[in-house]
Amino acid sequence: MEIVQIVGLGFIVTLLILIIRTQKPEFAVQLSLALATIIFLLVLGKINLVIGLIRDLADKANVSQMYLNTILKIIGIAYITEFGAQVCRDAGEGAVAGKIEFAGKVLVMVLAIPIIALVLETIVKLLP
Amino acid sequence: MGLDILFKIAGVGILISVIHTALKQAGKEDMAQLCTLAGFAIVLLWVVQLLGQLFTTVQGVFKLF
Repeated sequence: MEIVQIVGLGFIVTLLILIIRTQKPEFAVQLSLALATIIFLLVLGKINLVIGLIRDLADKANVSQMYLNTILKIIGIAYITEFGAQVCRDAGEGAVAGKIEFAGKVLVMVLAIPIIALVLETIVKLLP
Repeated sequence: MGLDILFKIAGVGILISVIHTALKQAGKEDMAQLCTLAGFAIVLLWVVQLLGQLFTTVQGVFKLF
C-alpha cells in the first residue's frame, strides 16, 4: 500500500512546487530535491531486502563476492548519477546534467575494468 | 519518515515570497532581498542535511565506500 502514499505525497508536493515556482524558482528546486530524497529513503528498505536475497543466492551458487560487490557499486553509482542529473535537468541546467552523466559513465567503466580483464583472461585460457 | 520537512520547506517558500512582495510594496527592496536570502539559507540547511542522510544511506546499502 506504500505506493498509494508515495503517489499521494508526490502529487501534493508537486502542486506545492507549482505554487512556489512562479514566485521563487530556487525554492521549487530545493523542494523537488527534498521530495526525491524522501521518496528514495522510503523505498530503501525494500531495496535492502532484494540485495540481501541476491547476496544469499550468490553465496549458495558460490559466486565470489567480488563480482556481486562490483555490480552493487555500479548500481549505486548509476542511481546517484541519475538522481543528480535529473535534478539538475529539472532546474534547467542541461549542460551540468550532461557532465554529471559523463562522470558517472567514466566511474562505472573504471569499476568494470577488472571484470573485463578477468573475462579476457578466461577466454585466452580456453583457447588451445 | 521526515514528511514534515517537505511541508516545512514549502511553508518557508510561500512565506518568503509573500514577505518579499510585501517588503517590495513597502519600498524596502534591499530588506526583501536579504529576507529571501535568509529563507534560502534555512531551506538549504535542511536540504543539505537530507542529502547527507541520503548519501550515507546509499553508501551503506550499495557498499560504495
